[in-house]
Amino acid sequence: MLLRLTKVAKFYGNRLVIKDVSFEAAPGTVTLLAGPNGAGKSTLLKLMAGLSRPSAGSVERGVAEDSLGYLGHQTFIYPELTAFENLAFWARLHGLAPERCTEEALLAALDRMELKRFAFERAGGFSRGMAQRLNLARVLLLSPSLLLLDEPGTGLDTRSMAILHREIAAARDRGAGIVWISHSVAEDLVRADHVLAIAEKRVAYSGPAAGYVPEAVAC
Amino acid sequence: MLSAALAIASKDLRLLLSRGTGLVQALLLGLLLIFVFSLSQRVGEVMGPQGAAAIFWLASAFCQVLIFNTLFSIEEANGARFGLLLAPVPVQAVWLGKGIAGFALLLCAQAVFLPAAVVFLGQTVSPLWHVGLATVLLADVGIVALGALLGALSQGQAARESLLSIVLFPLLVPVLLAGIRVGAAAFADDIPEGVDSWLGLVAAFDALFLGAGIVLFPFVYGGEE
Repeated sequence: MLLRLTKVAKFYGNRLVIKDVSFEAAPGTVTLLAGPNGAGKSTLLKLMAGLSRPSAGSVERGVAEDSLGYLGHQTFIYPELTAFENLAFWARLHGLAPERCTEEALLAALDRMELKRFAFERAGGFSRGMAQRLNLARVLLLSPSLLLLDEPGTGLDTRSMAILHREIAAARDRGAGIVWISHSVAEDLVRADHVLAIAEKRVAYSGPAAGYVPEAVAC
Repeated sequence: MLSAALAIASKDLRLLLSRGTGLVQALLLGLLLIFVFSLSQRVGEVMGPQGAAAIFWLASAFCQVLIFNTLFSIEEANGARFGLLLAPVPVQAVWLGKGIAGFALLLCAQAVFLPAAVVFLGQTVSPLWHVGLATVLLADVGIVALGALLGALSQGQAARESLLSIVLFPLLVPVLLAGIRVGAAAFADDIPEGVDSWLGLVAAFDALFLGAGIVLFPFVYGGEE
């Protein structure tokens, strides 16, 4: 078990966002988190990441803190630093082993995202796609066992989307559990093993991706 | 934790020194204060050492508000705060990192304010300058410990930024008073009475602010919005 949510509810002030959500993420699986806008998907992902505390229920993580990767709407990039400096900072902050923080290792991570030739350029000049690829490089550098993705494809061009899909598949193949909020659920269903759909503040569907019909739960 | 704090501090210093804007604004504000006070004197009039020390500390206090606003706003642009919170280190590492960066920047600013105070306020550097320097270092520890804690409160909203100044200055009064009283030794030829008590007071408030930072920072800088 990488992650277990048991009867989780979340209030913001008096406003109920989600209620009675139970879910378990297994290694080597991709779970698509689906639901209409405002259903509480991002809130749920933040609860999974530990960035927010549940108002009721429990969130148990079966992975170490340094084995969790979170890719949100925001890129976590420092625009004044170069792509290389950004990556070096996050590697140092996460206390990666010295052999994973060498210049070669960081450049290899950037190369995988097709950013090597921009390694020493200021990240502030990057397009949305390049910034998100740098963000993905940051997350994958940590080799996370649990990868939480909040609409990582928003605003990406075709090439960046292909890289993103390739890296999601690679992470699953090496045994990582992935929970993924996608802005194009119908397209990404083929890349998922499970679907957890939220509607009307509750779980509307939880099961195999093959059995999920988006229209049936108003997604 | 220390390694993560140093990573944050070195990143912040690189960002602020390369960009310059945050520090330059803080420096200009402090220099403006010293210059304006210098205009309040009549021609030939010399300000007392305590008056000069008070203006020096006033410039330092305003300067550090700007420094910590800038230091914490760095993380807000692209949501990097969440990245810091997700790192496998105690959240206090952020407080310590910001504190170290703030301490270095405040010392840089004071290295400019001190000669400015000597020139514009007609002071001379006394042989007891080391007492003044020790006071500056001791008082700065308390100032940055509290600044790094309350600076985290100031992110995002203008109303909260005002809150930083409103809450910070009353809390800093004891440290600033001691800084003025003992720090005046840098401009005078005699050590003021009760210097041990004043320095003891600063050390006590330093310990209080450091403790408050360690205990309270996770509540101030948590992930909940």
